[in-house]
Amino acid sequence: MSQMWALYAREVHRFRKLWMDTVFSPIVSVALYLSVFGIVVGGKMIGNLSYIQFVYTGLLSMMIVNSSFSNPGFALIISKNVGTIIDLQLAPIKAWKIGMAYALAALTRGLVTLVVAVLATIWFIPSFGLHNIVYLLLGLVLTGLEFGMLGVTFGMKAKNFEALTFMTTFIMQPMIFLAGVFYPVAALPGVWAKIAVFNPIHHNINILRYAATGYSDGNPLVSLGVVLVISLILFWAMYFVTKKSIRV
Amino acid sequence: MNALSISNVSKLFQSPQKKEFKAVDMVSFSIEEGKIHGLLGPNGAGKTTLISMLSGILSPSSGSIEIFGTDVVRETEKAKQMLGVVPQELVVEMAFTVEEVLYYFSGMYGVPRAVRKKRIAEVLEDLSLSDKRHERARSLSGGMKRRLMIAKAILHKPKFLVLDEPTAGVDVALRQKIWDLVRRLNSEGTTILFTTHYLEEAEQLCENITLMNHGVIVKEGRLKDLQNEFSKNVIHFELFDRSVKHIEAVREIGMEYEYPLVNLAADLDRIAKHYHGNIKSIRSEAASLEQIFLDLTKN
Repeated sequence: MSQMWALYAREVHRFRKLWMDTVFSPIVSVALYLSVFGIVVGGKMIGNLSYIQFVYTGLLSMMIVNSSFSNPGFALIISKNVGTIIDLQLAPIKAWKIGMAYALAALTRGLVTLVVAVLATIWFIPSFGLHNIVYLLLGLVLTGLEFGMLGVTFGMKAKNFEALTFMTTFIMQPMIFLAGVFYPVAALPGVWAKIAVFNPIHHNINILRYAATGYSDGNPLVSLGVVLVISLILFWAMYFVTKKSIRV
Repeated sequence: MNALSISNVSKLFQSPQKKEFKAVDMVSFSIEEGKIHGLLGPNGAGKTTLISMLSGILSPSSGSIEIFGTDVVRETEKAKQMLGVVPQELVVEMAFTVEEVLYYFSGMYGVPRAVRKKRIAEVLEDLSLSDKRHERARSLSGGMKRRLMIAKAILHKPKFLVLDEPTAGVDVALRQKIWDLVRRLNSEGTTILFTTHYLEEAEQLCENITLMNHGVIVKEGRLKDLQNEFSKNVIHFELFDRSVKHIEAVREIGMEYEYPLVNLAADLDRIAKHYHGNIKSIRSEAASLEQIFLDLTKN
């Protein structure tokens, strides 16, 4: 197990070294979104929540999803390009442990970024509190791990930067934007509201928003179940892809 | 006990056009524990493919590979733990310093945190890299990167060290240093397999060699036996006065004379007595590894 933690420590050290890119820039994005949406639609109410409270939880969720996905994704692609992927191929570590080391480092980056972002921006959010600590902890850990594992799967599978950029630009970003970061999915017209429920990211946002504010776009327990099942599926996907990638 | 046993190993690759190519074809050989073994062959012979298979990076299409009795395919992690591998290509971490690279890599081999720094200091000292420990690995020169890769491979004190062309592109002084390190590690009990293009290197270090060409083994055995087998068994000599009467069986070849060798001491004595003070130079010819290599791979 110590071998897995050494790899985890290496990946955490890597994002610490590149903190401007890995921690600071997502926080700047959140701050920019907040200022724009806060000014434009700041006074609107969604249920008992002010729009700024609603969008704030959505933006923080979006930040964890993006940070957790991109951390292993880009680290692995760079490693393939430079050739240092051979370190993973040579090391006596089982494939699932390699995957988990990267996924846990992704979770760590997601949490560090979240804490720093909250400390930097919470002063601008009126009466922001905590509704359910259990949902918050489960939501944070599962979201970080889920997208960390997705990042490992794509990082291992993708042949080059273009493939990963395609994934983030044309799949992840639309899914995040249509998951209810900026609006409640129930507000979508007709069939779109039903389709949005099948967007997995919607459930991550739902859990975290419920944990922070008590507002929910559907049963939070169902969302927790969906996230748990997707995490298990992603664990197996990550395991198989990693195994195939480290032994050709 | 054998440190390495390779039995009927083949590796088949498929091109994007679905064309099959056998990079390694039914290769079998073994290396006894504590030996230095050379794996030689021209470019494309299949050496690196074979090394990738025994390192657990590539799966063999057929056959089996065992490291100290542990099957590389079935018990990959256990086999990898016994191995240290220096790959041919120079690849280093972009973000980390030399010390950080070694710290995390040794951790990935289970070297306890309490002894890691001490072990890193020892290895850096051995490879004359101590003063570079806080430098970014990517900023090192080619020779230093090569030493860093060797350092990575020996940090966890592997029982079996594989070096894929460890001296490619390094200067003479460093090459000598690497040879010394290889000899010292071997004297401490490490079994060593290395590939090289420098045949003189194999002659200096190896007792046994395996010669590969086109994915198959063309010759293997003790270097001395191969030299005997391929040597021409003749004595060559030059004379000051070429008009003298010759011993029977002496043939004139250019400016030299050739005499078939049967017993080195007796034959030298016979030539010396017959030609007396007339001999300008004399040598018996043993085949160099280069000759053997060229003979066996010319087709």
